[in-house]
Amino acid sequence: MRTLKTSEAATFLNVSPNTLRAWERRFGYPKPMRTEGKHRLYTHGEIAALRDALKEGLSISSAISRAREKLTGDTPVLVGALTACELDRADAAMEAALALRSLERAVEEVLLPSLREIARRHGDASAPWAFAARWASDWLARARRLAPPPTRPLTVLFGDASRDELDPDVLETSALELFTVRAGVQVLTLPVSGLAGLNDVLQNFRPRAIVIAGSSASDDEVARWAYAVRSATGPLPVALYRRGERRAVRTTSTLVLPPAPSEAQHELMALVDERRPLAPSLRPAAFDTALLRRSVSA
Amino acid sequence: MTRPNLQVLPGLGDAEPHVSFCGHCAKRPSEEDAVTRVCTSCHLGLIVSAPESLVPATNEPFVIVDGKLQVCAVSRRAEKLLGASETEIVNQRLTDILLPADAEASGIEHLVSIIVHAARGDGTVHDLVVRPVGEWGIRWFTRVGPCGAPSAALIVLAPEG
Repeated sequence: MRTLKTSEAATFLNVSPNTLRAWERRFGYPKPMRTEGKHRLYTHGEIAALRDALKEGLSISSAISRAREKLTGDTPVLVGALTACELDRADAAMEAALALRSLERAVEEVLLPSLREIARRHGDASAPWAFAARWASDWLARARRLAPPPTRPLTVLFGDASRDELDPDVLETSALELFTVRAGVQVLTLPVSGLAGLNDVLQNFRPRAIVIAGSSASDDEVARWAYAVRSATGPLPVALYRRGERRAVRTTSTLVLPPAPSEAQHELMALVDERRPLAPSLRPAAFDTALLRRSVSA
Repeated sequence: MTRPNLQVLPGLGDAEPHVSFCGHCAKRPSEEDAVTRVCTSCHLGLIVSAPESLVPATNEPFVIVDGKLQVCAVSRRAEKLLGASETEIVNQRLTDILLPADAEASGIEHLVSIIVHAARGDGTVHDLVVRPVGEWGIRWFTRVGPCGAPSAALIVLAPEG
């Protein structure tokens, strides 16, 4: 994906950097990413779409609306490809989306809306949904395998409270896991139904926070699992993701994450970062996947 | 011999000169703005042009509508007058926002006809009376005429009185 600095994007559009920032404040577009030094970084596709729209527009607002329409053109293509069961075309649609956006935005603006549209049209008990959901799970898993290794000594434990792999919440949760991994944090996902051997796993994998994701498991089941985790690790912050209504207030013990995966990831990072560093004796050891397999199968 | 039914029509050479202004704050552009098409004063409007007699003053609210009657631009003053932001109004149909309030005009068709002709580039500036949709007792005197580019209709609103 080609990116432009603020000055480059401004030159490309023949406007000043102040104008670009004014548009971002008022219209939320173009929406830049941030470098590690917090500098704005614009995607070339977004700026090019805006330049074309400005030539034909009568106002900034209508030009931005037109540029947005052009960029959301990838969603109908992906919906069409998945509905027609054409895997190559679906992969190509995501490739095209990635050429214009960051991976996070491609997932949030193209992949997830396309899957929601298929669920809306056919229902989540239909064959088209099953096909599309499996393809999307596979795509997200591939992206996660390609993510760089963890760069921060932080770990987050996800408790999977979804129904099964075709539960619509699973894709949103997988997206949140992917974004968290890409932020340099190690992620482990365990089902909330599995209590056996949990203690052994958590001795090696000391999480910094727990996320309970999905709405299918009962509150009793989730509570038992969370109690078992906290018994093994000590008190940890717990966040809920896509588990019913979002509460308006943040309680001291439980944070309800927003439904959008990128916003949820930012809140989760803030939750993890605000905790003080662990004492050396409590720092997580290198993750032992063999031990995890033994413990889960026990 | 006199031909009383014939009238002198304005020719191309008689066309009123066009003046440029910002489609958001209505300020006249500097030389730099003319190149970029973006107003360097408010940063939020594109530079458009209209016949001199139609061009809004900086304190006059206005909207710009295309030939499909879709709102394309709303000035800062019009946002206040209509009680909605530009992002909420743009892409709505004009008739969802304004309706004719002229007792002598022949209903909405007259308003639509004038706007469609203006959006096609008809150089005549018309005076109309409109009211906001869903509200009575308020009337705005308006001037309607062509603007661009691209070709569109400019509706300059002036509250009664």
